[in-house]
Amino acid sequence: MEDFEPIIIAFVCNWCTYTAADLAGTSRLKYPANVRLIRVMCTGMVDPKYIIKTLLEGADAVLISGCHPGDCHYINGNYKARRRIKLLHALLPQFGFERERVKLTWIGASDGIEFAETIAEMVKEIKMLGPVKTKLKMVI
Amino acid sequence: MGKKKSAALVVGAGISGIRAALDLAETGCGVTLIERSGHTGGILSQLDYQFPSNHCGMCKMLPVVDRDAGSQFCLRKGVVHENIEILLATELISLEGEAGNFTATLSQNPGPVDPGRCIGCGRCVEVCPVEKPDQFNAGLSLQKAIYLPVPHAIPNTYMIDLSVCTQCNECGKICPTGAISLLEEKRKDFRILVVDDELIVRDSIKLWLADEGFSVDMADSGPKALELLSKGAYHLMLLDIKMPGMDGIKVLKKARKDFPELCVILMTAYATIETAVEAMKIGALDYLVKPFEPEAMIPRVIKLYQELELKNQLKIEVGAVILCGGTSYFDPGSGKNTFGYGINPNVLTSLEFERLLSGTGPQQDLNSSSNQRYFIRPSDGKPIKKVAWLQCVGSRNLQTEADFCSSVCCMHAIKEALLAKEKFCAPTGEEIEAAIFYSDMRTFGKSFQQYKDQAETDHGVRFERGLVHSLFPDKLSKDIITRWVDIQGKSHEETFDLAILSVGQRPALKTAELSKMLGISVNKWGFCETEPHSLTKTNKPGIFIGGSFGGLKDIADSNISAGAAALEASRTIHISDKGPTIIPKKLPLTRNILRELPRIQVVICTCSETFVKADDLSDIIEHLESYPEVEKVAVLDRVCTSLGLDELIEITDKNQPNRILIGACMPCVYSWKPREIGHKLRLDPALIEVIDIYSRVMDLPDNSAHETRIIMENSLKMGIARLRRIDPDPVKGVKIRQKALIVGGGIAGVTAALAIADHGFQVDLVEQKEKLGGNLNWLLRTVEGFATRPLLDEIMAKVVKHPCIITHNSSRIVSSHGQVGNFTSIIEDMDAGVQTIKHGVTILATGGTEAPVTSYNYGSSKYIITQKELEQKLAGNSSDDAVDPNRMETIIMIQCVGSREKPRNYCSRICCQASLKHALLLKDNNPAINIFIFYRDIMTYGFAEQYYTRARKAGIVFIPYDIDNKPQVKVCDDGVSVFAFEPIVGRQVKITADLLVLAGGIIPTLGQELASIFGISLDENQFFKEAESKFRPLDSIKEGVFGCGLSLGPRSIPESIASAKAAAQRALRILSHEEMPSGKITAKIHQSLCVLCEKCITACPYGARLLDHDLGKILINPIMCQGCGTCATVCPSSASFLAGYQDQQMFDIIDAAMEGIFN
Repeated sequence: MEDFEPIIIAFVCNWCTYTAADLAGTSRLKYPANVRLIRVMCTGMVDPKYIIKTLLEGADAVLISGCHPGDCHYINGNYKARRRIKLLHALLPQFGFERERVKLTWIGASDGIEFAETIAEMVKEIKMLGPVKTKLKMVI
Repeated sequence: MGKKKSAALVVGAGISGIRAALDLAETGCGVTLIERSGHTGGILSQLDYQFPSNHCGMCKMLPVVDRDAGSQFCLRKGVVHENIEILLATELISLEGEAGNFTATLSQNPGPVDPGRCIGCGRCVEVCPVEKPDQFNAGLSLQKAIYLPVPHAIPNTYMIDLSVCTQCNECGKICPTGAISLLEEKRKDFRILVVDDELIVRDSIKLWLADEGFSVDMADSGPKALELLSKGAYHLMLLDIKMPGMDGIKVLKKARKDFPELCVILMTAYATIETAVEAMKIGALDYLVKPFEPEAMIPRVIKLYQELELKNQLKIEVGAVILCGGTSYFDPGSGKNTFGYGINPNVLTSLEFERLLSGTGPQQDLNSSSNQRYFIRPSDGKPIKKVAWLQCVGSRNLQTEADFCSSVCCMHAIKEALLAKEKFCAPTGEEIEAAIFYSDMRTFGKSFQQYKDQAETDHGVRFERGLVHSLFPDKLSKDIITRWVDIQGKSHEETFDLAILSVGQRPALKTAELSKMLGISVNKWGFCETEPHSLTKTNKPGIFIGGSFGGLKDIADSNISAGAAALEASRTIHISDKGPTIIPKKLPLTRNILRELPRIQVVICTCSETFVKADDLSDIIEHLESYPEVEKVAVLDRVCTSLGLDELIEITDKNQPNRILIGACMPCVYSWKPREIGHKLRLDPALIEVIDIYSRVMDLPDNSAHETRIIMENSLKMGIARLRRIDPDPVKGVKIRQKALIVGGGIAGVTAALAIADHGFQVDLVEQKEKLGGNLNWLLRTVEGFATRPLLDEIMAKVVKHPCIITHNSSRIVSSHGQVGNFTSIIEDMDAGVQTIKHGVTILATGGTEAPVTSYNYGSSKYIITQKELEQKLAGNSSDDAVDPNRMETIIMIQCVGSREKPRNYCSRICCQASLKHALLLKDNNPAINIFIFYRDIMTYGFAEQYYTRARKAGIVFIPYDIDNKPQVKVCDDGVSVFAFEPIVGRQVKITADLLVLAGGIIPTLGQELASIFGISLDENQFFKEAESKFRPLDSIKEGVFGCGLSLGPRSIPESIASAKAAAQRALRILSHEEMPSGKITAKIHQSLCVLCEKCITACPYGARLLDHDLGKILINPIMCQGCGTCATVCPSSASFLAGYQDQQMFDIIDAAMEGIFN
């Protein structure tokens, strides 16, 4: 278990968290290389099926991160994401995934440090949790 | 010295400069935006959070229609618009000509780091040996002499602080792209001519200068010097005055005539100093007295050299100039410094505290768990539990010559207190205690009062009315002992961990110089002065002021005044002889590729082989070329340069791919202009993608070639996945009906109508009353003493005869439907009957009126009147009950009648000024009259503060009252008696007066009915609800409908006029174009899959979708859609999709992201 390196896919919103990730990059903040960023316009466009697909394809965790509530570039997309992820959390065990594998955070454009910390923390948590145990495989 | 053409020049790229530039650029005007510092964003780049949302929201300023003309990323990173040229490190040094036809000379000082080459890798910082206080973090942390001006801007070029740089050139040696050239290396290109008849002087000077690296030539006589000058270009001539034959003065005269750009320093013996001084009048730069040591000469030459070498002058032709220089801040360490700022490290300014709160600030987390942070005192690391804010430091203070209010500090302090409470806690887990010491809490803006009330009741921020007179550090703990006097004169003492000084404003750096050069007037405090009734016009036609340059404003007001300045500039350009320099908007002509299979040209930029050698790319190339849709992978050296670009175009021209993927560095991604490339290649810009492949590999150790390869390959694969299935359908446009409807004919409505009509567009102005003019029909003068009648008469004269304005008096709106660009409204005109008007935009200027007063026995006595009635009575129009100051003994005024408490919990902003205006007028007419004003907080923000000071000096008595203990009014036969608690004498008082005047506040006349007709929302106080209170203060969420004047919220006449002009400018962004293109990322619909469930219509936050019952289809307005993708996610049948982010694309991207990780 010691050398388990989780794979994390992060769906980050174009406006806030992607900027924070850029800032972490330009500020030379070190964060684990286990994460791949997928830039989306808004967390409100992250369809739960993308998250399920990512997990079934073998990712160990998914991070969805956008603007703080009240700060969405598209007025209220992040509220929609919040409701959606809450529902998804209820469904995840049925696919054989722990809830901790899907995380929703708000990281503002100037919070590069927070972005790096969030990734580091998530890697730590998922390491504790271990690899995905589900037997399901993506078929579509 | 190049000469360029641009329609407008905006000086200062803070928030108001950005607003003005964008507003002009969006109408098609070319704009040159210059900024003295090395980044855009001004003070806002240091402020992460804004009230009332306590978040950022800056990106909402970006274009909402024709989005792709601008950038689609966080505005903190920088401003990008195809019509804006941004020149950083640039100043305006002279302006010639007149309105509509100026020639501006700009001076650029880019510094030793070449922005075109710097890729922001940061290696220079690691080797730089010099540390200095970090300006961005208000000096609270350290940074190197080579530094990033702000951490988040992209492209973010490093800068060198030459005042601390030791010129060791370590940075220059390590820079992988050779972007840094400290000037010493370039000195050999700086040619100096030494002219002296004495060989020994020539030789020693040559030796000294050559040691410093300059190129030196010598001449032994005047004619020889002139001969050398005519042969080669010299930058500097050191010239002896006394020479046999042709003397120095003659040489100077001749040289000045033939080589005007040459700098001349004279060398003179003591006896001829006077001659040398005279010579400076004919163009010598300086003189040296012989004999001199190298120490005397070398620094002067180097200084001159740096000035010449670094600066680069540029002349541009512009039609108008907008000054958006912002403000600077009071230095609390100056003068008496009673608070010990700079001496006691635990006394900070509000800006320094703001930096402590910031995610990019000097504060590093002690405990990394992100929801449980506590923050520490920068001086000694003690965790902070208790913080005090001191208001009005350097504002409202006659001792510091600041008889003005800085307008924003009250809200700023509340915001900081709330943020501190929200983001951090004391180590014990308790909330941080916050106390704000103030004299008047100026919550005069929209929603400010609610924000303050919430801070007080919900979050426990303590508001203490009183005056802090001194701060002392505790001897041991260094905590701050605060001594203050409350409103009753009692002294108190309390200890805080930190004291924050809410510092006031001062004129921006170099305001005096700039205004003198431009010939514009400044007020007595040195701020630029504007014309009567205007926030933007200076005394020089064609030069306008936006934002805080004419006095501190909050973000919303800055944006409004910047918009108004943009309108004035646009009008100047439009009516100037030359006519408009409008860049016509054309939908791009693109190659039809709908029936082609995807063919992707992949281009990898090696960024001068900084991170990866071209040879190491062979694996990646081989792998990528195995993809069927990837034709060939090209490797270019630096694609961001014009050379690289030409190469790229050559390759793509040959291969004719229908999609292009470019892997490059991060700055390249953001400075890239796909529209330009697309235009050249006749390819839809949506099909060109630039991705960052380097930022994740920059920090990898040198031996991690394998990881580097995986990360880069992965990024490229994700790019390919996105492009492979991208929708090649070209961008659609919407035809615009270039006509405006303006509802309301008050000063705001007519101003907006005139502004639009002056641009040549038809305006229908609808007014429900018989007469235009609104509240200006009864208002007589402003608090400044300007009469309003001439203003109204002048503007009405223009409106009546304007060929483009059709006025509909005594008319009302019956219905309106449609979307931006194509509205159809029906109006009922008393004279002309029912009419249908087709228009592209709507401006609501429905105004407001004095709120009905029901308290304080109003209506029961003729001695109790409102401020509006007093204004009318003072005019003496109705002679029977006119107010004659000379027959009055005592007048009482009560402020905040029904305002700032439920159900009207907002400040009406102008009542304090109105009461002061009347009180001063009465006092001027009869100095013996007694005037008492009962108030809660006097809201004389900005320069109106001087009237409050004047009133107190004139002997008007101000008595504060508490909302729970309001004055009681008793009506008598010949007047009124008021009973109230007087805090200074500490007991109940009774005042009998001849007249009681109540300040009733303002209510809007907009109404729910009209709001629903136009499909907009109202806020809880029935005012126009703006799309975003700070950054889009005039737009509604529904694009194409704008608000201005009192319909937005209470405001003064100049503020109403400014808002009307700014709203007109917002409307002109749309009206100026015959057709508006959609964004490349726009929602679309597979009609065959759609089941008309209408879920997407409810989900769309912009109202961009509607169900067309005739067609039985959901239609999307492509210019209203902002591309958030919410509709696609809610669609149960996957009919709705977001172009660029379709399901299959997303699946492919996910697959690509997963591929090859750690194997």
